[in-house]
Amino acid sequence: MRTMTSMNSNKSLDESVLRETAAFLAEYASLLSGCGATCIRIEKNTRRLADTFRVGFDISIMPTHVYVSVWDDNPAEAVMTVRKTIACGISFNLNAKLSRLSWEVSDNNLGLAAAIQRFKRIRKTKPTGKWETLFLTSLANASFCRLFGGDEVAMLIVFISTLAGYRLKQIMLEDKRDIRLTFLCASFFSAAMSAGGHIFNIGSTPEIALGTSVLYLIPGVPYINSVSDLIYRHYLCCISRFLDSFVLTVCLSAGLCAGMLLLGLKWF
Amino acid sequence: MWNDILINILEDGLFAAIAAIGFSSISNTPRRAYLTCGLIAAAGHTIRYVLTTPAFGIMHIIPASTLASFAIGVLAVLFAARIKCPAEVCFFPALLPMIPGMYAYRTIEALLSCLYHTQEDAFEYYFYLLAYNGLTCSFIILSLVVGATVPVFLFKKLSFTATR
Repeated sequence: MRTMTSMNSNKSLDESVLRETAAFLAEYASLLSGCGATCIRIEKNTRRLADTFRVGFDISIMPTHVYVSVWDDNPAEAVMTVRKTIACGISFNLNAKLSRLSWEVSDNNLGLAAAIQRFKRIRKTKPTGKWETLFLTSLANASFCRLFGGDEVAMLIVFISTLAGYRLKQIMLEDKRDIRLTFLCASFFSAAMSAGGHIFNIGSTPEIALGTSVLYLIPGVPYINSVSDLIYRHYLCCISRFLDSFVLTVCLSAGLCAGMLLLGLKWF
Repeated sequence: MWNDILINILEDGLFAAIAAIGFSSISNTPRRAYLTCGLIAAAGHTIRYVLTTPAFGIMHIIPASTLASFAIGVLAVLFAARIKCPAEVCFFPALLPMIPGMYAYRTIEALLSCLYHTQEDAFEYYFYLLAYNGLTCSFIILSLVVGATVPVFLFKKLSFTATR
């Protein structure tokens, strides 16, 4: 965790305005954190907004919460707000829109009310369509199989097993199931389906089909974010993101192993 | 021979681009970024493919991944402003096709084999495979992330004004 300060204020602000500003900045930072932005981006964007609103500003980014304090002249009289990180799932679309909002506010010197209005519009951003994601992910995993040396049959097996596993993941997440259980089940399902190639001797690279079939579940973005946080010395968030991803990787590995063991694959 | 190499390079780039676009959709990437993500992924994966191909230099996969991911990072920083997205939006999906999935899979396979074989010789062999694949996998991931993050760190101003 790191703390950052900015102080541009000359005029005195009403405490209610300070509270409203702190609440908005905390909401903004918690949504940015929830959509998978790195800590350095959360700091920079929120500071840009605070500078435009001409308030003193501190932010502490914790793994599940964001603490924002805002003041007028005297940091000892700061107004502090805590917000839980909004669990909206990783969204680069939201990340890009929120980053653009901070520049719009800064470049056009927009006031708090206008910023809040635009922020509310951004919050309503819809995620990518589930069928589009399902098809593209399956195609991507089949391409992945090819990159690892799989033949056309292995690609087809991976496409079908990803389609089934990813759909299961979507259904379980829509039903608000635990994400670790979801990863385990989706991985088991994909592994069991792609093991068909090995059991029935379909194609020349069934082991590549089996190994690739669960790779769509690897939480790559949090892994990469954790290294970025490490570089910028946000160690708590770095460890938290890494452990979250590691637990999910263990779950998907467990699903893969369970699938292999239950189907009696003993080539090793 | 050169025709085959060229076809392999193009094929490698094409499938890397499809993989990047597909995986970027999981992270709700804006549609306008799909093409850029695909092109950057194709460039990065092709660089790694060329560097590790016997005809060119047979570089070890870890330094080759570092160089390729550095190129991805530089391209992402340069192209991010054109599509009005943060640099991460471009380089995260582009890195995903280079994640060493097969090394990770072989690590798990070796771990299971260690548990399955109780004889010392067999256990030592599979433990060697576990350590080799596990270490290679870990260092490739580290090199990928560090290689792609360094340009963001070097061109900080450019990176953080892309959405302006």
